[in-house]
Amino acid sequence: MGDIFVLIISCIFINNIVLAQYLGNCPFLGTSKKMETAVGMSMAVIFVLTMAGVITWIVDTYFLVGLGIEFLRTIAFILVIASLVQFVEMFLKKSIPALYAGLGIFLPLITTNCAVMGVCLINVQEEYTFVEALISSIAYAVGFGLALVLFAGLRERINIGRVPKPLQDTSIGLVTAGIISLAFFAFKGMV
Amino acid sequence: MLESVLFTLGLGLIISIALSFASRIFYVYEDPRIAKVENLLAGANCGGCGYTGCSAAAEAVVKGEAPPNVCILTSKENVDKIAEIMGLEPGTAEPLKSYNDCDGGERATDRFYYEGLNSCKAVAALYGGKRDCPVGCLGFGDCIRACQFDAIKMGKNGFPVIDKEKCVGCGACERACPKPILKVRTMSDRLLHLNDEDDAVAPCAQTCPAEIDIPRYIHHIKEGEYEEAVDTIRERNPLPLACGRVCPHPCESYCRRGIEDEPVAINHLKRFAADYEMNSGKRIPIEKAPDTGKRAAVIGGGPAGLSCAYFLRRAGHQVSIFEAMPKLGGMLRYGIPEYRLPKKVLDWEIDGIVNLGIDYHTNVRLGRDFEFGALIAAGYDAIFFSIGAWSDYQLKIPGEDLNGCYTGINFLSRVGNEEQLDIGKRAAVIGGGNTAIDCTRTLVRMGCEKVYLVYRRTRKEMPANEVEIDAAEEEGIEFIFLAAPNQVMGDDEGRVTGLEYLKMELGEPDASGRRRPVPIEGSETLLDVDMIITAIGQAPSAEFRGKGDRMDDISWSRKNTFEVDPATHQTNVPYIFAAGDAATGPALVVDAIGGGRKAARSMNLFLKGKPVTPQPKAILNKHIQDTIFDSVAGIKQSKRVETPEMPVADRINNFDEVDLVISESDALREAGRCLNCCRYCYNPDYEIQA
Amino acid sequence: MAKTLAQEFSKGLWEELPPFRLVLGLCPTLAVTKSVENGLGMGIATTFVLVCSNLLVSLLRNVIPAKIRIACYIIIIATFVTVVELLMQAYAYPLYLELGIFIPLIVVNCIVLGRAEAFASKNAPVYSVADGLGIGVGFTLSLGALGAVREVLGEGTFYGMQVFGSSFEPFTFMVEAPGAFVCLGLMLCLINLAGNR
Repeated sequence: MGDIFVLIISCIFINNIVLAQYLGNCPFLGTSKKMETAVGMSMAVIFVLTMAGVITWIVDTYFLVGLGIEFLRTIAFILVIASLVQFVEMFLKKSIPALYAGLGIFLPLITTNCAVMGVCLINVQEEYTFVEALISSIAYAVGFGLALVLFAGLRERINIGRVPKPLQDTSIGLVTAGIISLAFFAFKGMV
Repeated sequence: MLESVLFTLGLGLIISIALSFASRIFYVYEDPRIAKVENLLAGANCGGCGYTGCSAAAEAVVKGEAPPNVCILTSKENVDKIAEIMGLEPGTAEPLKSYNDCDGGERATDRFYYEGLNSCKAVAALYGGKRDCPVGCLGFGDCIRACQFDAIKMGKNGFPVIDKEKCVGCGACERACPKPILKVRTMSDRLLHLNDEDDAVAPCAQTCPAEIDIPRYIHHIKEGEYEEAVDTIRERNPLPLACGRVCPHPCESYCRRGIEDEPVAINHLKRFAADYEMNSGKRIPIEKAPDTGKRAAVIGGGPAGLSCAYFLRRAGHQVSIFEAMPKLGGMLRYGIPEYRLPKKVLDWEIDGIVNLGIDYHTNVRLGRDFEFGALIAAGYDAIFFSIGAWSDYQLKIPGEDLNGCYTGINFLSRVGNEEQLDIGKRAAVIGGGNTAIDCTRTLVRMGCEKVYLVYRRTRKEMPANEVEIDAAEEEGIEFIFLAAPNQVMGDDEGRVTGLEYLKMELGEPDASGRRRPVPIEGSETLLDVDMIITAIGQAPSAEFRGKGDRMDDISWSRKNTFEVDPATHQTNVPYIFAAGDAATGPALVVDAIGGGRKAARSMNLFLKGKPVTPQPKAILNKHIQDTIFDSVAGIKQSKRVETPEMPVADRINNFDEVDLVISESDALREAGRCLNCCRYCYNPDYEIQA
Repeated sequence: MAKTLAQEFSKGLWEELPPFRLVLGLCPTLAVTKSVENGLGMGIATTFVLVCSNLLVSLLRNVIPAKIRIACYIIIIATFVTVVELLMQAYAYPLYLELGIFIPLIVVNCIVLGRAEAFASKNAPVYSVADGLGIGVGFTLSLGALGAVREVLGEGTFYGMQVFGSSFEPFTFMVEAPGAFVCLGLMLCLINLAGNR
């Protein structure tokens, strides 16, 4: 049980997917201009990443490793993720239109979110068991959401401030992200 | 090698099978045109159009909410292709435009001295902004910076001015503005918007039942832009000629100048602008939205019906009016005498409305010439009732059915219809409202030698307009106050020979606050008259009811009017709406016009398949309390323009119009008296020393 | 197409220089620029994928059905990424270990997919190759430059060689994650400053 707890803490804070692992930066900067969008995107990532982490783990363990064709991992994973996103989009549209209205518009952005692909790859590289893979997927996604929501809150405030022209928008965003990252850096001393 | 090939093929196969099944199982009908349109958009998901990405924009195009040229990046050919898919000319969906509501700008006073960032958003974060006005422009130009199309400039008075040509309606300015000042709306949404608590509306415009933007049209008149003035009035009132003549202008009682001086002659200015258009001989074109393909029926072509039809037509719906009388106009034509509103003027005005493409049928009465079911069968999507209140109340005294007794509206409408009536030598009109006054003045013009007006209270309690009472007095009407008719005397041939009434005295105030008249025992007095007109109020006539169709499901109030939601004018049958006298009981023309517009707003929502909900925060003829002042600084006394009218001797023998239009120089001077008020601020006559 | 081949190539070096002018592909930019070597290696790998996928997409642009075009592009890109992965395992194993999962993640680099969709699917193969090469070289140079700054400040070395005397205290912040964000942010600011002139 203790291991699981350490895994969760490490995935959310210490190895935060955006701020320490450098993954998922494009949506991190792109969808953080408004709190509303940031929350939607976070939810969509948590939803998709959990499913993608589990399914890719199964594909990897039972097919790729079993058949000895690990070199096809990249193609297999991207195909699985892309079709999963498509599937989820169709499913939500039909079955849970309310949820689709909230998350649907972000789903196409997730296919090219390297956080999703990255976590799937980390899961198999670290040779996690099924349960660990599941937990780490959820925890990484929560970490992504946490970072995104924090960042969006800061950016909303920065928008009011007087920022020199060349530093505006993405530039100041990155510097801000650096400072949040520094804060998360402190968690490294925790474990 | 073999495994990898098999695996890749297998994975591809599984995925494609799963997805194709999923696309069947989870199939949601989506207009095939959406995909086609999306392929023609730039695909950059840039958001320049104001929608979340290209697929959302494509959906909006197909739904008709965005024009084919919504995408700011795509080429001209693609716009034409999209238009082709939609079967439209490019740009036919109603364009969105940005509008600025605030007239205050720099003249609004500051609550505190601000030295922070030059950004509206920043100052708004500090106690909601430095200006006293909670809704007005903060003047740092966030909207100007937000506009990517260079369509907004800061005007010289410190509020943004929008270049309509350059505006693409992207909505960036509305999002950038921390106040509710900039609104990106279609023309029809603007026409159907009800004044609400967050709007920058002056007290006069809050009071006007039709919600006309009064300071704006007066400003146009002041600048000599008479056509723009008429256009501004027509955004809220399709009948400026009629209203300019008969409206008792409740707005003027709330004029800020009126607090320290005499109120601005708002209604004379309206009439001046409207008459200017009529006399110029050319009609100002009225803009309307592209056709929506929805149809509405309007039953009753009076002011409420005309107003509702006009606004629905401008919003792009097909409208048919069904009128029981031989001509359109309702009470305007049959209830208001020629000397107040000449038929020629009314005809000109109504022509302008029906020329928008409204079809109308006259001489058809619901329940007599057509049945309600026929309307439904004819495919009308919504039905509006504005049947007015045409059924006069009876006095319920003996002798009321004698030859020579008439009822008010019945009498006026027969005169209006040019029927030949037997006019007596001496007549008594019973009642104290405008209908009663109209009857007396009409009788005088028809050659009646002596006309009495019998009213059971005093002059102070008369509901008729003050100016009308004065005019009647000038024309020699004799008022008999505190008199309650007791019985009508007749001769052997059944003709009226006199009216017996009881004298009254005022007792305790009743529920309406007016002192209740109490009869004095034994005070019977005989009035020697040979004609009696009873004008003591009216109710809608409900002869079409009780035929076993949907009409019987509509709930009626105790006052025998349609029971409607006061905010939406919807009845308990969702596709039936009502306004005007039929819903309120007898009221002003301008109330009917406002009601018609409010109903048109709800019907527009209903016809477009949206929920019919009241507009949140709509003020609905109430006032925004803190915008009504007790005193107004900076006023220099100046005389209000006099109403030019025909001398009494010239007018009592004919039906020529009594009140005349003011001259252009008077109009310009009067428009100059307007303080051009907004919510809190106004242009004083002289600098106020702080 | 009014532009010449040279123009298609050179626009990737300034006008549309990723990741500065086109703010795309930030993850590898941040992750692998601890040193010049890593930055250049990543850039070259990406350039290879970009050029090859652009070429193939451009050749097949009239064959691929519009409906499933994105899926097809992804498979094409994934294939070339796998090729790069295998090549690096064979010839540059230390670099492969250093770059880790960022090699397979080239698949989801928006730059590659973006060029396929925005340029290669509409233009002839020669132009598409020039475009891919231009963007790729620009990307490589950017990564190299960012890597250089971070390596010099963070480790006191350039391409593994000592640049400062032994008294230099390395500014370790720069090679860690926070430094990556701040450094990229400030460089973006400098590029904006230069670009606005």
